[in-house]
Amino acid sequence: MRTKFFLLISVLVLASLVLGACQPAAATPETIIQTVVVEGTPKEVVVTATPAPAAAGPKVLRLNMGPGDIPTLDPSLATDTSSTQIIEETSVGLTRQNEETAEVLPGMAESWDVVNNEDGTQTITFHLVSNIPWVRWNGKEVEQVKDCNGNPRYVTAYDFEYGILRTLNPKTASDYAYVLAFAIKGAADYNGGKTEDPTTVAVKAIDEKTLEITFTEQAVYNVNIAGMWVAHAEPKWLIEGDDCTEARGDKWTETGFFQGYGPYTLKEWVHDSYITLVKNPFWPGLPSVPVAKIDEVTWTMLDEVPAFAEYEAGNLDVAAVPLADMDRVKADPELSKQLAIGPVLCTYYYGFNTKAKFVDDARVRRALSMAIDRQSLIDNVLKGGQEPAQWFSRPGLTGAPTLDKYPDLGVKFDPEKAKAELQSYLDEKGLKVSDLDITLMFNTSSGHQKIAEAIQQMWKEYLGLDVKLANQEWKVYLKTIRDPQATPQIWRLGWCQDYPDANNFLREVPTKGGSANPAEGGGFNWENPKYEELVVQAARETDPQKRVDLYAQAEQILVYEDAVMIPIYWYTRVTVTKPYVQRTFSVLGGLEHIEKWDITQ
Amino acid sequence: MGRYIARRLIYLLVVLFVVSAITFGLMHAVPGGPFDREKALPPEILENLNKRYHLDEPLLVQYGRYMYDVFIPRITSVPPKGSVDDDFLITVKLGNVWFKWMNFGPTYSSRSRTVNDIFRQQLPVSAQLGIMALLVAIIIGMPLGILAALKQNTIFDYLGMSVAIFGVSVPVIILGPLMIWIFGVTLKWFPPTGWGAKPPFVLGIFPRDLSPEFFRYAIMPSVALGLGSSAIIARLTRASLLQTMREDYIRTARAKGLRESLVIVRHALKNSLIPVVTILGPLFAALVTGTFVTEVTFGIPGMGRYFVTSITNRDYPVIMGTILLYAVILVIANLIVDIVYAYLDPRIRYD
Amino acid sequence: MAQPVTLDRASQKDVLLTTKRESLWQDALRRLVRNRAAVIGGVIILILYLTAIFADKIAPYPYEKQTLVDQNKVPAWMLKVFPTMQPYAKISDKYLLGADYVGRDLFSRIVYGTRVSLTVALIGPLISLFIGVIYGSISGYFGGRLDNIMMRIVDVLYAFPGLLFIILLMAFFRSTLARPEPGTFAYSISQLDARMGGMLFIFIGIGLTAWETMARLTRGQVLSMREKEFVEAARTIGATDLRIMFRHILPNIVGPLVVAETLAIPGYITTEAFLSFIGLGVNPPTPSWGSMISEGAQVIRTYPNQTIFPALALAITMFAFNFLGDGLRDALDPRLRGTQ
Repeated sequence: MRTKFFLLISVLVLASLVLGACQPAAATPETIIQTVVVEGTPKEVVVTATPAPAAAGPKVLRLNMGPGDIPTLDPSLATDTSSTQIIEETSVGLTRQNEETAEVLPGMAESWDVVNNEDGTQTITFHLVSNIPWVRWNGKEVEQVKDCNGNPRYVTAYDFEYGILRTLNPKTASDYAYVLAFAIKGAADYNGGKTEDPTTVAVKAIDEKTLEITFTEQAVYNVNIAGMWVAHAEPKWLIEGDDCTEARGDKWTETGFFQGYGPYTLKEWVHDSYITLVKNPFWPGLPSVPVAKIDEVTWTMLDEVPAFAEYEAGNLDVAAVPLADMDRVKADPELSKQLAIGPVLCTYYYGFNTKAKFVDDARVRRALSMAIDRQSLIDNVLKGGQEPAQWFSRPGLTGAPTLDKYPDLGVKFDPEKAKAELQSYLDEKGLKVSDLDITLMFNTSSGHQKIAEAIQQMWKEYLGLDVKLANQEWKVYLKTIRDPQATPQIWRLGWCQDYPDANNFLREVPTKGGSANPAEGGGFNWENPKYEELVVQAARETDPQKRVDLYAQAEQILVYEDAVMIPIYWYTRVTVTKPYVQRTFSVLGGLEHIEKWDITQ
Repeated sequence: MGRYIARRLIYLLVVLFVVSAITFGLMHAVPGGPFDREKALPPEILENLNKRYHLDEPLLVQYGRYMYDVFIPRITSVPPKGSVDDDFLITVKLGNVWFKWMNFGPTYSSRSRTVNDIFRQQLPVSAQLGIMALLVAIIIGMPLGILAALKQNTIFDYLGMSVAIFGVSVPVIILGPLMIWIFGVTLKWFPPTGWGAKPPFVLGIFPRDLSPEFFRYAIMPSVALGLGSSAIIARLTRASLLQTMREDYIRTARAKGLRESLVIVRHALKNSLIPVVTILGPLFAALVTGTFVTEVTFGIPGMGRYFVTSITNRDYPVIMGTILLYAVILVIANLIVDIVYAYLDPRIRYD
Repeated sequence: MAQPVTLDRASQKDVLLTTKRESLWQDALRRLVRNRAAVIGGVIILILYLTAIFADKIAPYPYEKQTLVDQNKVPAWMLKVFPTMQPYAKISDKYLLGADYVGRDLFSRIVYGTRVSLTVALIGPLISLFIGVIYGSISGYFGGRLDNIMMRIVDVLYAFPGLLFIILLMAFFRSTLARPEPGTFAYSISQLDARMGGMLFIFIGIGLTAWETMARLTRGQVLSMREKEFVEAARTIGATDLRIMFRHILPNIVGPLVVAETLAIPGYITTEAFLSFIGLGVNPPTPSWGSMISEGAQVIRTYPNQTIFPALALAITMFAFNFLGDGLRDALDPRLRGTQ
């Protein structure tokens, strides 16, 4: 009895000893549970997710990416801002957006020639910069990638051709392939599996320095699309293997394997924890992409609240401000000086199912839209200095109307007019306000809930209308709002730019078959030939001012005449930055160009 | 005993089969798929994605494929490729053939990783956190419970139990940010977030280096996670010890003139441990897998996040993988509990 | 019941010793009342339930009433308690404990929140005790093959991670019953859920996953009890299984069960909080302490009152349930009968 008891105790003690003293003295024998140990991975163990600030020596920048792992570093597969943030630092597209103006500048292509073909297509010939090497982190330093003859590999038009075709290959199953599929001639058939011959896609490397792409439309945003991450150069030898390189397949983006050519390259990616990029000393610098000044950049993967705590503890150099803490931050003498609010090219909106009861009349929709006091919502609920949205395409996008040129375009808060519109509908139908049974649905999240609750209150106050709120879990919600039968009367969504052109908003979202207006019904359940014509015309218009005018007309239909959506606010980002960081503020939905930043101390 | 264990392990297979079938059915019955996004994908793209992950096949075929990949070992001369479709948890080279077993499939949310990668890189972190939290729970809970029982109805009892109740009624949701604020940001005793070990791990679980740094990272989250459980252990210990103290054989022992401390240590404590041990198995499983809030709050790269996000993302292989994993941990934890149980109480037989 | 005087009753010495015979429960009640902590706990719980029932009479504002201009305002006395709020907090004495992020009265929301938490605290244990004890005692008492089969079934169910299962179940329930045809069973269920602010599925989820622990615990206890001398004695003199079960075994194991259950109550309540944390809790704007705490935790540094007070309410409830649970345990322990 006694011995057994002590046995148990000793097992417990032993267990804690094992825990307490488990030194990796003996090399692990033939590990059964396979662990990916990458050759050249640095051997130091202590993880400092947040390294101490370096006085002299290398300049290290510590940022936060947001919670959860980065989905991928593969340009063909990326869909989200975390992934593209890293990809835009480790490789550069043919063109590159200026992060502060959203202007499209030459990137890996130093110039291009545009030829409009008679069949309505457009051929662009890109002339590439030469002598930019592929690089990799070898565990100690960044080195150039050598080919089988021992010569450095330089980025060529063939690498771009490979990257684009790999994105379009249906086996790659790239989400964002559709952007290229619609834009490039022959791409849709290849991506949709109608042909298996990649040469039918109108992308052709003429020589190492020249890439020719034929686009389906003569649109001004074609060069934007050519610069997107899904059209970056990719290392075929690494992904598929060649005589002297082992094929890494899906795993080519992991620590130790990764190869890139941008101002930074991957040093270490500890999944779910942090990612570190290191300066690429072989990057020669381009007019739009200078040589990096900071030697190392680490992104942690924390939620907003803990990340802000790390910032306050001095372990992060830049952090987003949790909106709940805004009052305190604004009152704090130190933090308030480090605060910056910058625009982001995204729009938050409510959509109407224009075939659903009560909201099938434009007057009701207009009334609901005009009865939202957006400024009050921003000041009292959102608090991030967002801008009240008068229309859908966020100013800052190429082709989008701006508030100083079109101060009265779209919808504004106007309770009188809202009431009148609703009254005219009620009188015509012989209804009372209380007869209206309207439901607003959003996906379950406290942020959306706060907004919905505030707007519900405004409708009650300004229209006397009781709107019901409903919420569903995200994936269920997405099914519901795209279901021809189930789409609720009012639903919520947001849209962020894929490329900075109004086309990405006004054509790809509300037109029939667009992202929020499925061809088979659901979403807006709306079709307006005049609108569709306007956005197509605008896409082809080359005169910038005329283009904006066309988009303005389209907006007027979308948010006022037909009022199929309620634009609510244009996104901003609230960040604090330590005073020793010199930085730019990106408008591209959080996509920073770190190579332009510096640390001064 | 050996036969008993063998039978329980065979039975584990049955559990896994039932659990996998129910989970598979349930997760596909929940509307919404992995590729429903805020930006709706065109049908052609969706088709490519479904084909890529075999989601275009009938459900039964998908289930069969999954079970085949997970349970049936392969012996092949082809070395493993770098593909996420060819990642087996157990890959052993035997001469010039490869023995491969347990492919839990790729995760949809990370295109270069597999469920096995999550098991290798995230699970150990959660296990470390869970073990540390369990130790915290035992170290705080048991003495508190014993003290309270021995000094029943005194100030020690009330104070001890109040501490225990306090521990269980302040959830990690509050305790976490509070600890970060006080000990991380203001006093700077501990790093506010992060974890002091990274892959690869020794024996697939342990950190390669147990430096003081590791514990500096681990202390706040372990306490935050373990405190609630310490209350459970403390109260159970107290209740059980009180009950044991009234047993006849304790009276007999006392009557024999044994010293009180000897009575307690030799007779009372051991018997009162039975209910406490019962709870340790499930508690351990709950601690390893119930780390979501702790991990989010303290920015720990563990598995807890995947338990929740896999469901919200409809990341089917990860849902299946995490639930099966939980089942394995639990069944084995309970098996160990049962064995310890028999040790402590010889009256319990294995029939 | 006209029963012949059986010897097994005599085998319990307390019956012989007590002059006035009391039923087990009378005796337990008597001793419970003498336990001051338990009485206080009981009174607090009673008050809490009254609060839940009369929430609309007690709360000064409707729980969903928003006053945007009053958002995050705090009463003046709060600055003395939390001086860190001095630089930025706006003062309004309209609200006893302050207002939340959209200007809803915190006190009113805590009062209404009692409803959710106390219903969970009531129904969770009831479901799990009811199913768990019956199941566990049958399995433990009869043992053998039946025990084996029953426990294997529990093990299978047990092997489902409770919370994950709840998440899956809730996603399943909420979505499949999202838009049922009026008149169907699904419709009435979803109406009921809507009326309960989305609590119904939380109960079902918790209930379906919580009883297995109870069953295991009960079985373990019964297993060790059925080998005891007095059970053997009862069996030898021909007491029926049911009688042995209810008369001899259950009273002896009810202590640990009650303790385990009162210990589980915080678990039920925090499960609700966790579900709120991941967005599967009660429907807005229905308040629950869990959702208030998890929302408030986001602002814990800026407006600590928004999370401290719901947490305090939760803690008080926990203390009350625990003290009552302890008292019950002591009172129900048959070896203490007739003492004190």
